[in-house]
Amino acid sequence: MGEEETKFKPPESGADFNLVEDVIYGRRSVRYYKKKQVPEYMVRRILETARFAPSAGNGQTWKFIVARDKKMIDEMSEAVINVCKRAKKFADYIEPGGEKKEWRAKMLMRRMPNMFHPIPFGAMKFIAEGKLGVWHGAPTVILLLGDKRCPGDPAIDIGIAGQNMVLTAHSYGLGTCWVSFATPLGMNRKWKKVLGIRYPYKLVTSIALGYPRGNPDGYVKRETQAVDWFSEDGTFKVVY
Amino acid sequence: MTRKDRRHIESFLSVGEDVTLGMVIIDQDKCKGCGFCAAACAAAALEITADKKCRMVEEMPFCISCGDCVAICPEDAIELTEFIQFHRFFRYLDRGEPEQPRKF
Repeated sequence: MGEEETKFKPPESGADFNLVEDVIYGRRSVRYYKKKQVPEYMVRRILETARFAPSAGNGQTWKFIVARDKKMIDEMSEAVINVCKRAKKFADYIEPGGEKKEWRAKMLMRRMPNMFHPIPFGAMKFIAEGKLGVWHGAPTVILLLGDKRCPGDPAIDIGIAGQNMVLTAHSYGLGTCWVSFATPLGMNRKWKKVLGIRYPYKLVTSIALGYPRGNPDGYVKRETQAVDWFSEDGTFKVVY
Repeated sequence: MTRKDRRHIESFLSVGEDVTLGMVIIDQDKCKGCGFCAAACAAAALEITADKKCRMVEEMPFCISCGDCVAICPEDAIELTEFIQFHRFFRYLDRGEPEQPRKF
């Protein structure tokens, strides 16, 4: 087989970032949105990119719910805030006089280390106190649901599909933020009924979408990660 | 990670010992108090004072070193200096020095 012309060319070493890399590196989470609604065709275009995401066994076992009604989004936020308030009442040991609750919080962290990791624990506290929004006033919210019977892990497929959407949205100049604080809605009887979340679907995460205020894009510093590297000549090294 | 570390869950009551929180330094000369950073902060760690300057909240700023404030600042007044780290059960492993996106 001869060398065929491909659409994309490999970069020279040290070359400038191409458009895709720039979209990836420049995307920041947006937590400050304009009230202006995103046109429907743009949301449809963004959802279309999710349809073509790779998935385990080509299962495509995701479902998306788009909420664009401000009243509905506010009510959903209220439901999430109520859950956070209850959790805070039970386990907020940081507030003055709350030291006695520390063992409860630590029990939750031990039992459910992902859900009660110290970082979401702090966010939960701020949401309950009203210092942090849930969807930050975004005019459009996309809820991502996974099918529990899918090949492999539904969370992985949803992550891939969601990242397609988020990067496409950034390339249109829109702002996005992953909000997994939506999950309490999937355990709330009222919202399960309203949103139609029933077996085999599971609410995994959500994405806030809207026009950002200010210019949130930009490159930032991030920690490098150790990569174990087994070379062609049988040697081993760790690169960062 | 030692067995003792694994048994011990971090407490925010002993910040500095169990947890190192993220930190940003704000150039007060450049800051115009527009408030974009405080709105963008994922952890409600920034606030605008009465004299229109940005600062980190005094009582335990929960900075998760995401860098969103650095990116949004129109005056380039914010610099990320400290990255969040847990020292016991939730310790982040295999981390190197922070860097900007690199061109290899």
